[in-house]
Amino acid sequence: MDCRDFCDQHLAFVDDTLAGIELVRMQRHLVECESCAKQDAKIRRALLLFRNLPSIEPSANFSNRLEARLKECQNEQLVHSHRNLRLGAVAATLASVLMLGYISTTLYGHTEAPRDLVMPPVVASIPESELMPPSGPAMVTSVSAGLTIWPAALFAEQVPVRFAHSQLELANYTR
Amino acid sequence: MADIVRKHVVSVEGQTVRERLQAMDDSAVVTEFLGGEERAFSELVTRYQTRLLNFIYRTIGDREKAEDLVQEVFIRVYRHLHRFDRSKKFSTWVYTIASNLAKNELRNRSRNPLVLFQTVQKNFQDEDRPLQFEDTTSRPDDMYRKRHLREIVEETVAKLPEHHRNVFILRELEGKSYEEIAEITECNLGTVKSRLNRARNSFAEIIAPYVD
Repeated sequence: MDCRDFCDQHLAFVDDTLAGIELVRMQRHLVECESCAKQDAKIRRALLLFRNLPSIEPSANFSNRLEARLKECQNEQLVHSHRNLRLGAVAATLASVLMLGYISTTLYGHTEAPRDLVMPPVVASIPESELMPPSGPAMVTSVSAGLTIWPAALFAEQVPVRFAHSQLELANYTR
Repeated sequence: MADIVRKHVVSVEGQTVRERLQAMDDSAVVTEFLGGEERAFSELVTRYQTRLLNFIYRTIGDREKAEDLVQEVFIRVYRHLHRFDRSKKFSTWVYTIASNLAKNELRNRSRNPLVLFQTVQKNFQDEDRPLQFEDTTSRPDDMYRKRHLREIVEETVAKLPEHHRNVFILRELEGKSYEEIAEITECNLGTVKSRLNRARNSFAEIIAPYVD
């Protein structure tokens, strides 16, 4: 063990919390190293001095003062708990009034004579038929002359169908 | 006659309650108090007042203020005992409160130079007071030496940095374990050991010239 290890473990050495082997090593170092032995003695002597400082006692009126303060504290707590109780009582009263109101309303509603069930009048009506804009021949005729030839030809292919459609729709219309 | 008998019964009952409380450990006394036994609090005060007074006095170095702070500790304990976690040690909790109050006091002093001055002045005037702690049967030169030594020790403790001093007092004066000190000072175990080691070395270093 060197002096550095000794210093590191000195706290536990003084407090007597070292394991057996470590304790023996520390004691051996103490015998071998004079400066560490001096340091150890210095610390132990200083601690002894500090630990033997005379204890001071509370003054004569300490208990009376404390008692008075504790009484104040008790009173404060009492006032606080009374205030809480009062608030609780107010809240409970309000809640019970609301509850009573609700119960009485419910009971009143139940005791009333049963009324006739009044339903809104039913009005029969014929649904309006949907007015579809007829895609008439006008659509076909409105094709401008400026169209290129093949879309025009495609369009022309659909013409009989459209005509057929418009005829059907027209037939529906008249119904 | 009946009155006398009743008084006797009450006093005997009171005495037995007190004796019963004295025999209990802290945790049981706390339980008694929370169960409505007001005398249990007096038992706690009796157990801790002197220890707390010494701890705070050694930390802040002002006796009057130390008494005020001890009172404050008990008031806080009284108010908040229902919140105390009973799985922990009562003494650790009490010392944590005391340590925090002492720390606050030192912080306030450092912020307010007037308070610091008043404390220094008060301590200075204390020099003129009659001896309080020495054995009066001792010879005057012994008394002087003892008093002188006590003052030197107290001054030396006061010279330690606050966080070192706190740990040092808790260990050397109150005999707390490292773990308890860690809990009280809210530090980890390594910090406690390192601070204690430094505090011991510094203390020994400062006081050595007066002792040798």
